[in-house]
Amino acid sequence: MVYDLIVIGGGPAGYLAAERAGHAGLNTLLIEKRFLGGVCLNEGCIPSKTLLNSAKIYDYARHGEKYGVFAENVKFDHKAVIERKNKVVDTLVSGIKFALKKNKVTVVEGFGEINGKNSDGYEVKVGNDIYTAKYLLIATGSMPIIPPIPGAKEGLESGFVLTNREILDIESVPKSLVIVGGGVIGLEMASYFNSVGSKVTIIEMLDRIAGYTDKEISTILMKNYQKKGIEFKLNCKVTKIENGSVVYEENGQSYTVSADKVLMSIGRKPVIEGIGLEKIGVEIERNHIKVDRTGRTNIPGVYVAGDVNGYSMLAHTAYREAEVCINNIIGKKDIMRYNAIPSVIYTNPEVASVGETEETCQQKGIEYEVANITMKYSGRYVAENEGGDGICKVLVDKKFRKLIGVHMIGSYASEIIYGAGLMIETEMRVDDIKELVFPHPTVSEIIREGIFQL
Amino acid sequence: MATPVIMPRQGQSVESCIIAKWHKKKGDQVNVGDLLFTYETDKATFDEEAKVSGTLLEIFFEEGDDIPVLTTVCVIGNPGESYEEFNPNAAEEVKEEKTTSEQLQVQEKEEAEEIITTPSVMEESDRVKISPRAKNLAEKMGLDYRYAPKTGPGGRIIERDIHSLMENGPAVTYAAKDAYMKMEGTVIGTGIGGRITTADLYAESEAKGAAPTGVEGLSAAETPYEEVKLPNIRKVIAKAMHQSLSSTAQLTLNASFDATDILDFRKKLKANQQRLGIENITINDIILYAVSRTLINHKDLNAHFVDDSMRYFRDVHIGVAVDTPRGLMVPTIFNANKKSLNEISREAKVLIEECQKGTISPDFLKGASFTVTNLGTLDVESFTPVLNPPQTGILGVNTIVQRVKEVNGEYVYYPAMGLSLTFDHRALDGAPAARFLKELKTNLENFSILLVK
Repeated sequence: MVYDLIVIGGGPAGYLAAERAGHAGLNTLLIEKRFLGGVCLNEGCIPSKTLLNSAKIYDYARHGEKYGVFAENVKFDHKAVIERKNKVVDTLVSGIKFALKKNKVTVVEGFGEINGKNSDGYEVKVGNDIYTAKYLLIATGSMPIIPPIPGAKEGLESGFVLTNREILDIESVPKSLVIVGGGVIGLEMASYFNSVGSKVTIIEMLDRIAGYTDKEISTILMKNYQKKGIEFKLNCKVTKIENGSVVYEENGQSYTVSADKVLMSIGRKPVIEGIGLEKIGVEIERNHIKVDRTGRTNIPGVYVAGDVNGYSMLAHTAYREAEVCINNIIGKKDIMRYNAIPSVIYTNPEVASVGETEETCQQKGIEYEVANITMKYSGRYVAENEGGDGICKVLVDKKFRKLIGVHMIGSYASEIIYGAGLMIETEMRVDDIKELVFPHPTVSEIIREGIFQL
Repeated sequence: MATPVIMPRQGQSVESCIIAKWHKKKGDQVNVGDLLFTYETDKATFDEEAKVSGTLLEIFFEEGDDIPVLTTVCVIGNPGESYEEFNPNAAEEVKEEKTTSEQLQVQEKEEAEEIITTPSVMEESDRVKISPRAKNLAEKMGLDYRYAPKTGPGGRIIERDIHSLMENGPAVTYAAKDAYMKMEGTVIGTGIGGRITTADLYAESEAKGAAPTGVEGLSAAETPYEEVKLPNIRKVIAKAMHQSLSSTAQLTLNASFDATDILDFRKKLKANQQRLGIENITINDIILYAVSRTLINHKDLNAHFVDDSMRYFRDVHIGVAVDTPRGLMVPTIFNANKKSLNEISREAKVLIEECQKGTISPDFLKGASFTVTNLGTLDVESFTPVLNPPQTGILGVNTIVQRVKEVNGEYVYYPAMGLSLTFDHRALDGAPAARFLKELKTNLENFSILLVK
């Protein structure tokens, strides 16, 4: 039997593509080697949010004095937290299974490898079985980068060094945790383990944390965490991992920091090896599959969505890319846009941004104006954040007077940012946004305040 | 006193003209004889000069606007003088408003409870071409019609565009709107719901595709061509040419004649031009004369083919193709068969000069029963002239080449001039067309005798 579409990979890109394709009437096969839901659902976005929520409740319980709340004997049970996390993941994975079934998608468990092309379409091998489809969607995702540091590989084998996968199933809270890489994953895990009692050290090669987040905002975030006791080693390079300690270099000088566990979170790379791309000649660019804005590769009928295309490594980007691919496969014109994709760090306080930062504006030569205001313009923020120092930056393109970027650090930022994304996506101008009504009192009003400064 | 300047009437048949270019701006000082604006009919381009001096107080129409003749186009006067009384748009707007309110009243009677009057969102500075029906509908629906597609004639918004706006929403984002309005040509929208975004406005310059190494590619920063809007006369020519080729059954016959006689004759005239007090007679004049005398015997080629009938002309009206800086123009020498060679020569010169200057009356750009086009001066040896329907024939005149012929057992050189006759096979057959060409050839080879007739 010849399928209309085979999807390789059951993460956010793969399962959503399969759902949409099935819904559109395509006879669809989905191949997943590990767990449906992929990294996002099983060992990324969702489990980490479960943990962070427990940590937040714990923090509130212990630090309620400034709000007039006193609690004693507050206990934290990490095991119970992990159990609950597993329950949450199970619930959501069954949800996906149900949705796939409902849309008549055939799911095959196993490792899918492209086998070649025959007169009916593309062949994909899973174990000893060969499946054929007219269209192919590659959504193999990404995996953690393990740098060639002496001791890293051995540490992973012995369980001393962890990635996002292992740390979310860790049985007890380590006394001390060294995190290599101060990106989103590193910061969120630092936030959790700091709250629940680990001594956390973050070693970062760059002069900043949180990657390309607005530098002023990442600095505020770092100061908040320094106050909570996390140590940051910026401009530092890990040179060796020994059992019980991590050796790093700062300005040519070597230092050692002891650790019960090490989290390796320096970044992720697309999974392009061993899946048979070379058998049909799919073009690779640097370390990812080359695609155009409709998800097409250089091979007709072969599409790509999610982390493996090297664009953004975010689940919500993958969702939309998957839909763009399916729309193009079923002949509906659609195109991927990357200029209004929000990104969020679920630390406490939360960081959220969308669009251009001042730095990217300068790089791209965009003439911009910026309103940089304190979150204290929001009544609700002041009411709920004793001593809060959040800010919001609103960037406007000078030429078109349209919103091009919003960056914020503060409570609910993660839930507010989509609104800013919508304004950017639809190219609303300053004057248009001034006509919008924001609910009061909410933290979201900060965007309105920023706009009126321009 | 403020003086209105009206769109002149160019010939009896012209109802409106398009402003091609303003040479003065509002507020400029103008003197008598200064160029005010250039305007076009569907056949020619003209310049309008100032007839009074003063300040250009107001301009009521923009470049590209199609303006009924005798409408006030601008006002010249002294600074501060009132000119609003001359504004032809003001009157029109009042009229449109009136229709709108009248229609609303009618509706109010029909569906009294449902009327919600929405204030117009149009800014006064925006000059959007919109039909009253469309405007009425847009205002009724509370839509900003500036976002509507413009599919009506001349980029006018018509009723269906408002329906499209209602169903599909604006085709362009808020931020891209202003720049998009000023743009020419089509833009492909890649924004949400296919809307045109600011990035799309510049998408052209992002043209992708790397050149192979060692091969010079096109610069991505600019388009590899300059896009220029067609002037009206070019559009008219394009339409006429395409229509000619697609709607007739034209073909071309080629022949040549011994030009010895007309060359000798012209030489004689030239030598005695001053003494005789005649025009500088050209070879083309001689051919026009010969054609006028020959056509009268070949009524099928001195005719118009109109739908299911033929119009045979009683006299010969020859269109003369003229190359001008603005493009091809074809003025007519009326009743050429009744005019002397000298008269034909003089008229041709006057008409050609007026075409060159752009001052020709449109009445002279029509009415021909046959056309003569001459590319011989540009060394063309043979070509296929394109008919000017409903005319049934057009004669192409080619250059002179030296040929050899046998005369009394000897080879002699002679100047051979080519003639290319295109005719409409719907109107006549090949043999009658060839017979015309043969008689024309005989007449030209024996031109002195033709003159005597």
